[in-house]
Amino acid sequence: MANEAEETVRKLATHKGVAGVIVVNGEGIPIKTTLDNHVSVQYAGLLSALVDKAKAVVRDLDPTNDLTFLRIRSKKSEVLVAPDKEFILIVVQNPVD
Amino acid sequence: MLKAMVKRALNKDDDKLLIAKTLQRLDQKDASKSRANLADDEALEWLKPRVLIKPDDQDFVPEAELDEEVGRILTTINPQWVPVEVAYHYGQGKFIMKPKPAFGKAYPLYVYQGTAIRKDSDEAKAQIAAGYGMVGFDDAGPKRAKVKKAAAEEEEEEEPEAEPPPVEEAKPEADTTLEEGPAEEEVPEAAEPPPEPDVQDEQEVANEEVQEPEPEPEEKPETVEEEVIVVKPRVRKLANQFNFCERAALTYNFPRRSVETQTVPPPRANFGSTALQCIIFDFYQEDYARKMREKEEEKPKRLRKKKEKHAKSAQQIHDEHLAQRIREAWAILERLVNQNIYDDIAQDYRYWDDPSDEFREGMGSLLPLWRFQFEPMRSHAVCDMQWNPHYQDLFAVAYGSLDFTKQQKEGCVCLYSIKNPAYPEYAVITESPIICIDVYTETPYLICVGCYDGNVCVYNAQLSLESSYQYKSDSVRDKHSNIVWEVRWGARLIDGEASFFSVSGDGRVVQWAVMPGELRATTIIELRAPAAPVPGPDGTLIAVNSCGSCICFHPEKADIFLVGTEDGAIHTCSLKYNRSYVRSCQAHHMPVYRINYNYFNNSIYASCSGDWRVKIWEDGREEPLFMFELGSPVGDVKWAPYSSTVFAACTADGKVYVFDLNVNKYRPICVQAVVSKKTKKLTRLDFNPKLPVIVCGDTKGTCHVLKLSPNLRVMVKPPKKALSTDQRTLQIMKLDKLLTLVRDPPFTPGVVDEKFEDD
Repeated sequence: MANEAEETVRKLATHKGVAGVIVVNGEGIPIKTTLDNHVSVQYAGLLSALVDKAKAVVRDLDPTNDLTFLRIRSKKSEVLVAPDKEFILIVVQNPVD
Repeated sequence: MLKAMVKRALNKDDDKLLIAKTLQRLDQKDASKSRANLADDEALEWLKPRVLIKPDDQDFVPEAELDEEVGRILTTINPQWVPVEVAYHYGQGKFIMKPKPAFGKAYPLYVYQGTAIRKDSDEAKAQIAAGYGMVGFDDAGPKRAKVKKAAAEEEEEEEPEAEPPPVEEAKPEADTTLEEGPAEEEVPEAAEPPPEPDVQDEQEVANEEVQEPEPEPEEKPETVEEEVIVVKPRVRKLANQFNFCERAALTYNFPRRSVETQTVPPPRANFGSTALQCIIFDFYQEDYARKMREKEEEKPKRLRKKKEKHAKSAQQIHDEHLAQRIREAWAILERLVNQNIYDDIAQDYRYWDDPSDEFREGMGSLLPLWRFQFEPMRSHAVCDMQWNPHYQDLFAVAYGSLDFTKQQKEGCVCLYSIKNPAYPEYAVITESPIICIDVYTETPYLICVGCYDGNVCVYNAQLSLESSYQYKSDSVRDKHSNIVWEVRWGARLIDGEASFFSVSGDGRVVQWAVMPGELRATTIIELRAPAAPVPGPDGTLIAVNSCGSCICFHPEKADIFLVGTEDGAIHTCSLKYNRSYVRSCQAHHMPVYRINYNYFNNSIYASCSGDWRVKIWEDGREEPLFMFELGSPVGDVKWAPYSSTVFAACTADGKVYVFDLNVNKYRPICVQAVVSKKTKKLTRLDFNPKLPVIVCGDTKGTCHVLKLSPNLRVMVKPPKKALSTDQRTLQIMKLDKLLTLVRDPPFTPGVVDEKFEDD
């Protein structure tokens, strides 16, 4: 399992335009990252708050529904977030020209 | 009033001018004011007008004189005083000069004779001597006295006043003696009035003070204890109104005190939470689950225990779920990343059509979309590939090697998704190069492969990557003794087991039944070579097997299948006869690489071979209907799933040919070089069952996905008479029409297909 995760992170990081991959645990602490430490911590903190909020939005509209994915496009990059109860996977990707 | 005040205030001032002016102005103001008031009060007209009354004898002063300013000067010299005033002195009978008064001119207005007298006057002395003069003496304040306890004398000694009256001080000694004189004289007087001990005391004190000023300090050291007490002055009350005396008592005020105690505060904690609707919902769900569980527990224990045996521990289940969720999340993430990278292609493959097709009648093109590569398999050749029958974006690839002099040691089975062109979704490295592959239509995760070493395996793509094959042929007993060239899933056996067939270079066609835990092999047929048996070393004749190179099942008749051999023959076989062929024909001069049935007409099939040719056959006909020469060994030929007359072939010089027999019976409608012919060869190709794309593999392990341009997938327009005819019928009709054109030489009715008997 750990091996597989390791492999996946490595694989994702080699994709074109991928600036970083962060694995965040349930408490919002980055446990695996390919970015700088402080950047990862910032991403983890901000995104776990956003994920909570987004989840609340989806669940409040329909309690049986759930948030599965979050995609934030910005001018400079795109942040892909896979939220879950026990982890958050974050990929930061720069656009390919 | 105001005038008076101003006058008084300014009197002292020297500036008489100013005073006069001020007064004048005030006068004017008063006058104007009164006049104005009168004019204003129109409502009071009925009143008599006020007329200032002037006295009759008032002098008349002209205006100029009134305006004249009269100066006033304030001086220290009395201007009224006449220095040489004389008055008549009756006693002397003459005028004499009046003496100059020492003070200013003061005129007493009222004279009142007071009762106060000066102390040093004779009258006062007389009064004091009479006993009235000591009033102020005792009044002065509290006196301190030292009480000598040791001394038996009861008399209280009074100390002299801290501040002796200034009157006495100021007196010369002569006065004191004078004072003493009468004081001593008083003694007999004082003895007369018995209720006045105070006076006596005082006299004694006075006596002691004067007579014994020295023994006092001597006595003081003798005293053991001295207490300083405040002795209230004994006031001699004089019966007059000035010596008023008031008695009042002040009780002690208890000092205020506030006493506070602090108890231990009760434990506190901050709790914050957001009551969102979803959270409330979750709690209700949880509560419901708990109630269900409680209900469950009420059931007899025996039933419960049975369940527990089979159930995994909660932690285990949780871990498995978590791992699965993580895997899924990674997969989605990866696809999203890829979607960003290949965004334009992802759009093109669905919606972009080559616009130039409109101007090229009957010609089409292929748009390259993605190239799939698996890094460890760079030097391997794509030996087989197949789109997944269930998932339209998934295809399976077998990596092996077709360079038999430099055979690779290992192979790989990969599942690629067009959503993730960078990495295969599933990849498993095998011990031997994989030559062929087939995905089971019923359960699209079961993949059977044939290996270079003669083994066949079944892989389950649902299992994680660690576990390799689910089934493998027994390497000793059942396996082929040569390369397995093609595997095909067949119909289920009578007892419901899935089965697949394999054809190998050793000339055997074997059916493999997928039993629980093992593969059971049944040899269906052994392909015999047309050559005569070869005598063995010990004289026995050994039959020479021909090498099977491909197999294809009839789409409808499950027991009929075609086998292509390396010597170019195509045998029609049946599962029912394991010795003889149903039909046999020498189709090609080189190994047959692929046989493929048409999707719309079950009697039409295409074959390709290393002799550069693609042939279209009809069942039961010796000669091919069509024959195309492509100028290079043809690795694969496939009918299009969407059209009855379209097929594609790929050749070793890296070109893909697409034919539409309806458009052009002699030439391909598209020839496109996909890979450079110097370094790579195209090996296999496959049509996607749903999307207008094909995939072809080359000898360097790359899979190319190409989109068919609109001219390559022309649909049949329904005739005006029957607009509602569905596309399938139209396609069949199209092919039939085409076939009647080609089929001019009469053909002998085939054994398999009796449809065209009376043609």
